[in-house]
Amino acid sequence: MRGYLIGKIAQAFLTLLFVLVFNFFLFRVMPGDPAAILLRGSAAFNPESLAAVREDLGLDQPLPEQFVTYLGDALTFNWGDSFFQSGQPVSEVISGTIWPTILLVGTATLASAAIGLLIGIYGGWKRGSRFDIGSLSFTLFVWAMPEFWFGILVLMAFSGGVGPFPAIFPSGGYETAASDLTGLSHVVDVLNHMVLPFFVLTVAYLGEYALIMRNSLLDVVGDDFIQTARAKGVREKQILWRHAVPNALLPTMTVVFLSIGFIFSGAITIEYVFSWPGLGWLTVQAIEHKDYPLLQALFLVFSVAVIVANLIADILYTYLDPRVRAA
Amino acid sequence: MGRGTKSRLFVAFVLVGAIAGGVFIQAAFAQETTGATGATGQDDDEKVVFTWGSAGETSSLNPMSGYLALDFYFWTSQYHLLINWAQKDFSAEPSLATDVEVSDDSMTFTYTIRDDLTWSDGVPLTAEDVAYTLNLYKNNSAYLPSVYLSQIDGDVVATDPTHVTFNTANPTSLYSGKVPYLYDYILPKHIFEEVEKGNCPDDSEHCTPKGFDNVPSVGSGPFYIEEAQPGEFVRMVRNPYWEGPEPHIDEIVYRQFRNNDALVEALKAGEIDFAYDLTSPNLFNSLKDEPNIGTVAAQVPLFDYFNMNTGSAYGPETGDFKRHGDGHPALTDPVVRKAIRMAIDSQTLVDKVWLGYGTPGTTVIPPVSAAGARWAPTGDDLIAWDIDGANQLLDDAGYLDTDGDGVREMPADSIDPGRPLEFRYFVRSNDQTTIDAAPFIQKWLRDIGIQTDVEAVTSTRLGDIENAGEFDLAHWGWFPDIDPDTALSWFTCDSRPPDGQTYDNDDSYYCNPEYDQMYAEQQAELDIDKRWDIVHQMQQILYEDSPYVILWYSPLLEAWRTDTFTGYKQQPEENGDPLENYGGISEVWLSLRPVSEGSGAAAQTRGIPAGVWIALGVAVVAVVAFVILRRRRVGEEDV
Repeated sequence: MRGYLIGKIAQAFLTLLFVLVFNFFLFRVMPGDPAAILLRGSAAFNPESLAAVREDLGLDQPLPEQFVTYLGDALTFNWGDSFFQSGQPVSEVISGTIWPTILLVGTATLASAAIGLLIGIYGGWKRGSRFDIGSLSFTLFVWAMPEFWFGILVLMAFSGGVGPFPAIFPSGGYETAASDLTGLSHVVDVLNHMVLPFFVLTVAYLGEYALIMRNSLLDVVGDDFIQTARAKGVREKQILWRHAVPNALLPTMTVVFLSIGFIFSGAITIEYVFSWPGLGWLTVQAIEHKDYPLLQALFLVFSVAVIVANLIADILYTYLDPRVRAA
Repeated sequence: MGRGTKSRLFVAFVLVGAIAGGVFIQAAFAQETTGATGATGQDDDEKVVFTWGSAGETSSLNPMSGYLALDFYFWTSQYHLLINWAQKDFSAEPSLATDVEVSDDSMTFTYTIRDDLTWSDGVPLTAEDVAYTLNLYKNNSAYLPSVYLSQIDGDVVATDPTHVTFNTANPTSLYSGKVPYLYDYILPKHIFEEVEKGNCPDDSEHCTPKGFDNVPSVGSGPFYIEEAQPGEFVRMVRNPYWEGPEPHIDEIVYRQFRNNDALVEALKAGEIDFAYDLTSPNLFNSLKDEPNIGTVAAQVPLFDYFNMNTGSAYGPETGDFKRHGDGHPALTDPVVRKAIRMAIDSQTLVDKVWLGYGTPGTTVIPPVSAAGARWAPTGDDLIAWDIDGANQLLDDAGYLDTDGDGVREMPADSIDPGRPLEFRYFVRSNDQTTIDAAPFIQKWLRDIGIQTDVEAVTSTRLGDIENAGEFDLAHWGWFPDIDPDTALSWFTCDSRPPDGQTYDNDDSYYCNPEYDQMYAEQQAELDIDKRWDIVHQMQQILYEDSPYVILWYSPLLEAWRTDTFTGYKQQPEENGDPLENYGGISEVWLSLRPVSEGSGAAAQTRGIPAGVWIALGVAVVAVVAFVILRRRRVGEEDV
């Protein structure tokens, strides 16, 4: 058991190291010159300014030197300065956006997982019923629909106010701009800004969990031990919650934990529609501007999150599933 | 009563209790907060806040490193220029400099600096600030400001608290104060000197003149930046030492949105007072009939152009330039380029792509530019849309369709005889107007026997492609300065990307020694009218030679609430930007005022009141607790 754990941790660590090295070369291999991206289209686009920008960004160093600097910085948690965010330290740029991302995407992931699982469980259990057919159609629809489209509709309805829909909620952002709210007022302000994107994200993602859970349950329901439990006279509700669900939950757990890992990647389209300051949109901007330091740090954050989430899933499995422990 | 009914009653009881509680708490809260000014507390009944927004992101609030049009709005209310642009017509007017003395040889310039300004931290502004700032820009290659200082030879010197003087390498009229050329905002020496030493006011780690984020800032104008959250908002407050005309607003707040739909919703809901740069003519049209909303398709010096690779692989190898890339040889022929110009109908593009907003394009110097600089072709000079004429031109020049497939081939005596006129045509995936224009242009070119292969790439990628010379046609845009010097510099032989890797501005690879000669002449010409004569001739050369086809002069779509603020100042007067982007100091920040008592209050917080949230929270906790307790009880009976 301990050997299993140590093995898993070592594996995670090695993956992390590989990501660190790969990270660096991945972005340097991309064609294009960040200096020119910055200045293109403006009157500052001339060889002198470009050379100045390149020097400011440290791009005039040969590649091996840049790599050594990168490794040293990475291991001391010094992520350098962002190219596009006018030289702000990368750690500041990310730390400013990380909490809103976790807040929105984290709560939406948990909510969509909880609701999705419940829908999947009841749908799978009452297979063929009106609830099952209805919920299946619903989940397939929300899973297939583009979430930014749904987001814009929700924005127009509940922020702009269309027809019977009341215009209650703010049009975007994390909080009311430049307001000096503190304490409870601030919390309420953030909550109000979060309602619409939270709603859209939850609805958009619950389909995934519902469908996987439903299928998982259908697989389990046909197994022998369910027959045995029925034969023993166990009540239907007990069979569902004590016998079927725990076994059907395992594949879904993988998906849930992967999703938790991906919380940090943000939700690009929702951040776009609701002007929510998140890591997803930040990444898109960084790619567009070839902001190497920021991109490297972001991808490292995402990789670490997924690797750690997977590690936790692996460890949790040993408790959830005795078969893994015994193996 | 069965257990089922009991539990349902319990839930109902909790919900009713929560709702009742919520209503009571809400009522209590409502008594605390004051009427129209929302939950911001304090004495907001008096604070007048002008809130504006856009879907654009600032690059930097520090004039050393900012370069986007959006950034300038934060400088026009806090920093002075030496010579300002008049709001009415962009003519030169004194600002920080009250007088300019030019030596007889036009190589020494002395500016008289006013002595009645104070920085927002109480330090008086002197000529030292001017000299220091210009040298700082020049010696640190500040991205935009240093461009206008390239003619200066040596340092700018403050000879006394109200005079600065400097010399130029060659005689020039650019610094005479007659044209608003010196686009350099004057910064506080006492702040930036410390920044140079590594002491930033906000104690940040990367304290360099360009890296310094300039928040909070110290300005000489009526406002300064107090607070900024990158990607979210910027807040400017009043300079307590400002002695000029008193502004009617206390704060300026800029709110950043990620998309234009949200921006429009915010304007309609009254969350913001002014929406900048709507980009979508459809969204703009949706606002035209809204009550209490004013709109304008403002004219700014912004144009889109059809770029043609006139010779990255064939041009003269002067300076650092080495032939590279694989542009189609037909485009080296000005006749072919002229035919292409004749095939493109600018008016149709304006009508279809911009829904009628903006103006058809002709010359490189846009309608909004320094008075007298622009040459607009008329009469015989005008090359009108003429498909038949274009076909005739190509026939006469020997570009015939010898194999009957609808595509012309190069003449027998050309660089590459028999090669079909098939061009790669790049549009930009992050600019919808380039994608919308492509089908029209493609069809017109087919009508004159030219086949095009359209590909959408990101701006980033297109930059690389143009640089490598691996394109034939591309659609891009420029935002030139008011003074034509910068725009004209984009066509000189030395501005061509030299080697396939390095960037430069002449993306059409145009190289004409006669043109270069005239460029140097207009820079040195001291008589304004003679200078404009040369500038006109240069525009005519470019119009005839057509390295670019100017597709349209882009509109700046803006909207505002007419029931909150008034006092916008359009620049230029007829149809310009109401927020007066070109200024140091822009008058608009002094003239903006609330329409009526209380209409300028800060944006209210929107959403569900705190009381309801608390009620919801209580209800959720109660339901969850109930479910857990119930299951625990039932679980004991399990098999």
